[in-house]
Amino acid sequence: MDVWYQCEIPYPHVSRDVLDRAASVRASLPNRYCDPGVAADLFEECIDEFLLADERGLNVVAIEHHAGINSLLAANPMLVGILARQTRKARILSLGTLVTLRPDPVRIAEEYATADVISRGRLEIGFVKSGGSEVASSNVSLVDNGERYWEAIDLIAKALTSHDGPFSWEGKHFTHRHVNIWPPAFQRPLPRMWSATGDASTSADVGRRGMVHALVLRGPEGTRAAFAANRRARVEAGLPPSTTERFAYAALVAVGETEDEGLRLGEKLLWFLNTSMKSAPQFGKFLPGAAPPEAAPMIYRTRLKESKSTEAPQAAGNLRPSLGNKDALMAMTPERAVSQGILFAGTPDTVYRQMMDLYDFVGGYGHLVMIGRSGFMTHAETEKSIDLFAREVLPRLKEIAPVEAGFNQQ
Amino acid sequence: MSPVTARPAAEIISVAGVELEVLRAGAGNPLLLLHGFQHIDPRLPIVDLLARDAELIAPSHPGFGRSSRPADFGTVYDLVHLYLGLLDTLPRGPLTLMGLSFGGWLAAEVAVKAGRRIDALILVDALGIKVSDRETPDILDVFNTHPQDVVARSWHDPSSFAPNYDDMEDEELVTRARNWEALARYGFHPYMHNPQLKRWLANIQARTLVLWGASDGVVEPAYGEAYARLIPGARFESIDRAGHHPEIEQPEALAERVRAFLKPHHPGAARHPAS
Repeated sequence: MDVWYQCEIPYPHVSRDVLDRAASVRASLPNRYCDPGVAADLFEECIDEFLLADERGLNVVAIEHHAGINSLLAANPMLVGILARQTRKARILSLGTLVTLRPDPVRIAEEYATADVISRGRLEIGFVKSGGSEVASSNVSLVDNGERYWEAIDLIAKALTSHDGPFSWEGKHFTHRHVNIWPPAFQRPLPRMWSATGDASTSADVGRRGMVHALVLRGPEGTRAAFAANRRARVEAGLPPSTTERFAYAALVAVGETEDEGLRLGEKLLWFLNTSMKSAPQFGKFLPGAAPPEAAPMIYRTRLKESKSTEAPQAAGNLRPSLGNKDALMAMTPERAVSQGILFAGTPDTVYRQMMDLYDFVGGYGHLVMIGRSGFMTHAETEKSIDLFAREVLPRLKEIAPVEAGFNQQ
Repeated sequence: MSPVTARPAAEIISVAGVELEVLRAGAGNPLLLLHGFQHIDPRLPIVDLLARDAELIAPSHPGFGRSSRPADFGTVYDLVHLYLGLLDTLPRGPLTLMGLSFGGWLAAEVAVKAGRRIDALILVDALGIKVSDRETPDILDVFNTHPQDVVARSWHDPSSFAPNYDDMEDEELVTRARNWEALARYGFHPYMHNPQLKRWLANIQARTLVLWGASDGVVEPAYGEAYARLIPGARFESIDRAGHHPEIEQPEALAERVRAFLKPHHPGAARHPAS
């Protein structure tokens, strides 16, 4: 199994009363609350942590969010470029530039190809479908988001694999008359592609395409269902079964010398859920395209009503937000987060066991993405956790060889 | 919401490959009504009121109500051409085109292209043009604004007229969400307007009435006055105690303004001086 270190570079230094008063801490909190000097310190510390992960045998992940305290990484390729130059061994996963929100996928292909060349072929490309607050910041509608997602990925793949001069693209959502990127990607035919998604339909597409399928903080049940949809789609398409190398799970991970130390660090990681998730409904559930109309009874009502329709609740059943009820998340304890597979925390032995319990339940995964710093965790605490993880947990995970995914499931 | 009475469901007709839900009521000269953010609920009092003096024809835009939407149909351009096609299915003779909110935008676009086919144009709290400077939005961003603020700015009396989702049936809520999604598809970018439309409003040949809810906070009456100034000979009137939806908050007052506007116009009477 490979392990990837991830940090979203959150900005927790906004006072509680400001956050309490704000309708949303994502998308609309004025940036006067972000001190660029403090942000510079955060970037310095966090990039050093990425370099430590590289040194200790972990790979690294750069993600992207916009306009909020949960992440200062609004421009993913900037960090990817830095990591391409500064790391030495790690593979670098961009998970990812929000392709459905950017007007020109060709520019994304250029950024990725450049980073792949700088890293001499250590880049991996991940795609996420994006959601509410990012949509607001990008001036893009979520309607037809899925169509744009796959068309953008197809165009990026074409740009990265075309080497015979300009080609033309006149698709439904993107047009580009003259695509001929320089430099081309270092890796041939192209860097490995990932997709982070949990809904059954997109999971099936990811399976058929043979991309690495990543689930982020989804917990055992949701991850198991998404991975199963992926594997089932491959079987139905007559494709060979995937090995566990095509599956990834991302969770908050905190390792301590004692159970209590690990859990207390884990509690700090939960800041991501219990503080930074606060989002106004117009950036979430009421956004057109965020969920199919059939989910409306669940979304619009403020109280439960005896349903007369048999179809609507059934359709809505598959549409619950990946992280479930936000109120519950904002009050989540570390113990509860551990029980839900969102957080792996404790001593190295405990953490390893938690990871393997989930591994067995979901049919296996070949990549663990360790979200290792959030909220008010200090630089020293983060480095200690990375170090302990690398010494005590990583070697055991490295021993897990790829096998056919879903090996012990029906 | 006002008390409503049960009415028969709308019919489905095929226009340009689209299975279009069309509500018909009354008899007389046709009045084609293009709805706004939500399709026309046949139980609304405005339906009966407008149908007293005209044959009311109220389609649901593709993707709204029970109207289908082909996969390659997704712009205001498509809607405008669909309704130009629908006009061709109506008997020749006096025709009134009326548009509410988003439908007012469509009505203005259709009127620009329809030449003399339309005798009277009525725009009610219409969207569709850019009036202010580039950093001052004219139209409330209903997608990026907190739903409570949207309600507060949409209604003169939110406590009486704003929809209560808790009381709606599942089907109504699903349709409402479908409408919302379709609205975003057509009007997201540029937001609820066509930068080119203002230039072409001068081509409208129908005599025009621009009606506005005096309390409209989605798009304010000053915008309506500017709209009216761009259409040759257009008259602007505001409706008291109404927000963005006078057809729901003040249906009697709205219908009375429409009746008064249409009354002096008899078939064959002199058209607008500009025509």
